This record gives sequence, C-alpha cells and structure tokens, in this order.
Amino acid sequence: MLLAYRNLSQDKTRLAISVIGIALALMLILLLNGFLTGLNRQVTSYLSNSPGSLVVAQKGIRNMLGATSLLPQGVVADSLAIEGVEKVVPILSQFVILDLHDKKQPAYLIGYDPDSGGGPWQLAAGREPQTDSEIVFDEVLAKRHNLQTTDIFKLMGESYTIVGLSKGTSSWMTSFIFVRKTAIEKLLRIPQTASFLLVVPNNGANLEELSARLDAITGINAVTKTEMAANDISLFSKVFSVPLRLMVAISFLIGTMVVGLVIYTATVERQKEYGVLKAIGASNGTLYRVVIFQALIAALVGSVAGVSFALGLAKLIMVIRPQFLIVLNLSDVAWTLVTGIIMALAAGFFPARVVARLAPATVFRK
Amino acid sequence: MIMLSVHNLFQNKIRLSISIGGVALALSLILSLNAIFAGVEEKITAYINNSGADIFIAQSGVENMHMASSSLPAIVEDEVKTISGVEFVTAINYVPNMVVVGDERNLAYIIGLPPDSKLGGPWKIFKGASQPKAGEAIIDRYVAEKSGVGIGDEVEIFGRQFVVAGLSEETASLVNSFAFISRSDFSTVRGGANTINFLLVKARPEENPERLAETIEAQLGNVTARTTAAFSMLEKKVVKDMSTDVINLMNLIGFLIGLAVMALTVYTATLSRRSEYGVLKALGARNSYLYTTVIAQALISVVIGVAVGTIFTWLVSKIILGLGLNLTMNITAISLAKVGSLALLIGCFSAVLPIRQISKLDPATVFRGR
Repeated sequence: MLLAYRNLSQDKTRLAISVIGIALALMLILLLNGFLTGLNRQVTSYLSNSPGSLVVAQKGIRNMLGATSLLPQGVVADSLAIEGVEKVVPILSQFVILDLHDKKQPAYLIGYDPDSGGGPWQLAAGREPQTDSEIVFDEVLAKRHNLQTTDIFKLMGESYTIVGLSKGTSSWMTSFIFVRKTAIEKLLRIPQTASFLLVVPNNGANLEELSARLDAITGINAVTKTEMAANDISLFSKVFSVPLRLMVAISFLIGTMVVGLVIYTATVERQKEYGVLKAIGASNGTLYRVVIFQALIAALVGSVAGVSFALGLAKLIMVIRPQFLIVLNLSDVAWTLVTGIIMALAAGFFPARVVARLAPATVFRK
Repeated sequence: MIMLSVHNLFQNKIRLSISIGGVALALSLILSLNAIFAGVEEKITAYINNSGADIFIAQSGVENMHMASSSLPAIVEDEVKTISGVEFVTAINYVPNMVVVGDERNLAYIIGLPPDSKLGGPWKIFKGASQPKAGEAIIDRYVAEKSGVGIGDEVEIFGRQFVVAGLSEETASLVNSFAFISRSDFSTVRGGANTINFLLVKARPEENPERLAETIEAQLGNVTARTTAAFSMLEKKVVKDMSTDVINLMNLIGFLIGLAVMALTVYTATLSRRSEYGVLKALGARNSYLYTTVIAQALISVVIGVAVGTIFTWLVSKIILGLGLNLTMNITAISLAKVGSLALLIGCFSAVLPIRQISKLDPATVFRGR
C-alpha cells in the first residue's frame, strides 16, 4: 500500500494532471445524470403542483407534454356527475414557440380559470390574469429577457400585458406561462373546449375505481397524476437517454484511459524496481496488488475531486443559467465513486501484464 | 525535428495508443453532441423540406410547426387562391397526438390532408396508398414494424380506429413520427371543421417565392407567410437556440478533458526522454529546437486524435442507425472545423508543462547519469 502510494506520488505534476483528467470525466457523468434528473423534475412541476389526483385526457392520450389533447364537449358536466368526484378543474394547454430577443424559446401555455385553479402555484410578483389580454410569465424566463410586470408581450399575433411572474415554473425545455382559459380559446380558435380536466376526488375515494368510472365516459380516459408524470418523464427520457448514455460511455472510457495511462507510465518507469522485488521473492500477486492499489488511489482521489467539481459546476451553471436544474442525488454520487473503482480495475490490466511478464533477472542485466 | 518528434512519440506504442484514444474520445464527446443536434435539425425539417410547397402560411406570429400551434379560418384558403402568382394551395390540419396499437403508444404529428392533396403528404411510400381516404391512415414504416402492424390492420389515433392504408418512410425520428389521415376525419374527431392549421402554397414557375410570400402577408394581413427555405431555417433555429448552452458547456468539458489527457501524454513522454533531451542540449541544441520538438509531438498526437475521434463518432452513428434507434447523427464540416481548432489549442496548451521542464533541464544531467 505504502509502496503503491510512494510510486504514484513520486511525480506530483503527473498525479495532479491525471487526477484532473479522471475528475473531469467523472464530473461529466455526474453532471449529465444530474441534468436529466433536474429536467424530469422540471417537466413534471405542473402536475406536481396543480390540484387533483387524476387527469382526464382525450382518449388514447396518457401524457401531458407530448400529445395535444382536446376533450369532447360536455365532459366537465359528465365528470362532475360521477360518484367520487369533488371538483373538476378544466385547463386548455398548448406548446408555443416564443420569440424573445431573436431567440426561439419553447414554452407550455396553460389556459385556466383563476376561480377554479390550475394556474401558477406561486407568484414571485404581481397577480393572476383578470382579463383575456393578461399573462403570467415564468420568473426566470422573464428575467433572462428583461421582461417585467406591465410589459406588453406579443404571442401568436396577440398582445398580452404581463401582470404576474410565477415561481418554480421554469425549465430548459418547457417553461410554463399562464393566461385565462377564455384567452387561449380565442387564440387557438377552439371555443368552449378543454385539453385536460384536473379531477379532485372526494375524501376517501378509491382512485382506481374512480378512474374506471371516468373511463366509461365516451372519448376520454382518466390517468393518475403519478402515471401521467411518469409518462412525461419517459417521453423526455426517450429523447435524452440515447445521447446521454453515449456521453456517459465515452466519459467512462476516457476516465479508464487516463487511469490506465498514469499507472502504465508509473509501472514502466519503475520496471527495474519491480524486477528487484521479484528477484528478492515478491510474488506476482503482491506486485499486482501494488499496481491495482496505485490505480485505486488515483481513481479514488479523482472521483472525490470529480464529485467536488460537479457540485461546484452545477451550482455555477444554475446561477449563470437558472433555467437549468441540476439535481445531484446521493445515489448518483455513490455510483460515480463505484464507477471510479471500476475504472481503476479496468485500467490496472495493462500495467499488471507488464509486471507479470517481467523477468527478475532484468535488474541484474542492467 | 519532425522525425525526432515521431520517434519520441512512437517509441512506446501502448502509451501512444492510450493517449490518442483518450484525446480521440474527448474530441468525439464534442463531435457526437454536435452531430446529434445536427441530426435533430435535419429530422425536424424533413416534413417542411419534403412538403413540395414553396411557401408556408401560418397564423400571424407563428413561424414554426414543431411545438407550435397555428390556427387559421378556413376561408383564408380561398383568399390565397385568388392571389396572383399562386399556382395551387393545400390546406392541412396538424396536431401532435398518438398512434396507439395495444399497449404500444407512439407520439406522432398527425397531418389531416384534403382529398388528392398535391402538397404536404408522405413523400416516400414504402408500401400501400399515398393518400389517406376516410377511415384510413398512413403511418411510418418503422412505427408499424415496431408495433407489429401492417397494411389493413387497425391503429388508434385521436381515440378512434383507423385502417392502415400505407406505410411511409423517412417520417420517424427518435421521439416521434408523422401519420397522415384525411382532413374530413381530422375535423370529425378534433372538431373545428372551419379551421385549418397551415396552408401550403405552390408558386407559379415564373413567380419569385420570396416576393409572393410578402404579397400574401400584405394582402391577407393577419397571417405569417414564409418561403419553405425560410420556414425550415426558423425550425432549425428552435433546436439551435435551445441547444446552444448545452453544446457550449459540453464543448468546454470535452476541451478540458482532452487537454488533461494530452498534457499528461506529452508530459510523461517528455519526462521519460529527459536524459535524451539533456544529450541534445549538451550537444548544442537550442531550447527553441527542443520546444518545437515537444509542440510537434503534441500536434502529431492531436491530429491522429482528431482522425480517430472522427472515425469513432462516424462508427457510433452507424451503429446507432443499425440498432434502429432512429437517432440521426450528422457530422458536419462546421463541427469538424470546431473540433479541429479545439484540438490545435489542446496541442499547444498541453506542451506548456513539458516546455517548462526542458527549459529547466541542465545539460550536465546526462553526464551525471541522472
């Protein structure tokens, strides 16, 4: 152990560069996972904070952010008549592309009735919309584009006055903005319609049974909010999982190569000393352990540095670009440390071969 | 000098392979992400570019299709037809929805087409009809295969059953696909028979599409008219604007990782040849000669790294395609130029530490046997 440590720390510059290399690779893995976790949390923020436990959507639609749902007429009354339903909150929603300072920004527009609910759950400034020409903007999006309450904002040819700024509604992909439901009906030319109903059940109502009763209404299906959120996450995961896995795999390979390069160089440089150890009777097993210990030390220091880098950079990114949410879970950190160990074991392969092939006589010939 | 760099570099092939591999992978991190977003841009504009239209007309203030909504009164179609320079017009309905087969749910952009539409339909048919009749749907071949359906089978769209009449190609991406039904069906299930979402215009051959788009906007007032090329560019801009921050961050991390790997390689290669550099110094070689040797060594490594990284990324893109993941990766000349420039920077920066080592090197070292 001590020999491994001395061998490794003999050249501090090399050790420092290698630790940085490993740390950067692991930091990238951690950041990418944290980014996806944050995105998942952001895309489901509306479902997590809006009223009700069930969502009624057009038949065949079981997620909120992917497909556009349009409910048949009369579904509000039909749903209210179902046993176990206490309240129904209709919303009309649609993805829109905002033009903000020559930048295209997707946003999820929610039309709601302030008397029923389904609007912003926390206001950082201002109030809810009282007329069809008023809008509540996401606080982060507004700040990024120097928008504030009383500013006029143009959306799909219509002018809206920003009357409120909402909190917790920001996302890199889908910041939420809110208008009255009647305003969006006019904007999309679909009067008296709703995309979804947020269903608040009576106390003690069984969600599964209630969902089945709602399903009996023609042209709709009821989905629990938990399932709908999971479906939205799965949709976004579909978009990001392949690129993300690719990046993680490349980062893992890079980290392994960096550890490998360091340990290999350190071993080759000390070939003579390993020869001496062999000559005085050290077994291959002992020498392997020395090599593997070196790899483990480098990987462990690199992993700890990587986690620290990731924590620091995540904070920095969220300050500079508040639309990004990077959530670093304890389990991700643990996995990163495990990844570091796997890297070390994989990287120890080549140097171990060098040691294994070493003839003890080498030392006496030189 | 170049020969000396090459000899020094290739002397230990395992170390060279590991370091080139490391740099290549770091560069391929950058290249892959750029290629993924370039592929998304290509896929996202496939419908627009293959629509056959010269001009797209949308609701005022709407300049996109994806993640956007446009709604126009049906009467606009007749108004556009009367404008001089317009050859013909196709009104389409469009909304994101699902193509459902049992438990298999596929996100799809549903296009409602009028009978015998000349524009906006599927542009490449694998099998079956190219125009959907009432009760029929044309779905993407990949979606059909994944869901286990073929011509004559039923799929659910908007909660209603449709018979698959045709299978289209090039209409699927990683996330969604296009499906085509008749406009009459679209209106029945979605309501709003008097509403259309987009108008696709074919200009007369002698007409300039840009000028015609301006005329349409001026004459109709409350609409947005863009040439297909401009509409396609605006669509790409959504992806570009959304991805800029992520790509920049990834480029920076890739650059730093590449730099660390390269610095490590050049540093260890120089360190192990310290006595030889000492001999050269003792024989009268100038510091500048040795610096150039180290820089050349770093640059040769990164040039090989760029080549290996590009081949690796290209291979990954082919493997992903082969796995049927519908993720297109486009390695563009721009991203290659970007990666090349970053690699040059990496090469130059990574030589800093070894240069410092050499400058401090005492020529007498060699005689002392150190």
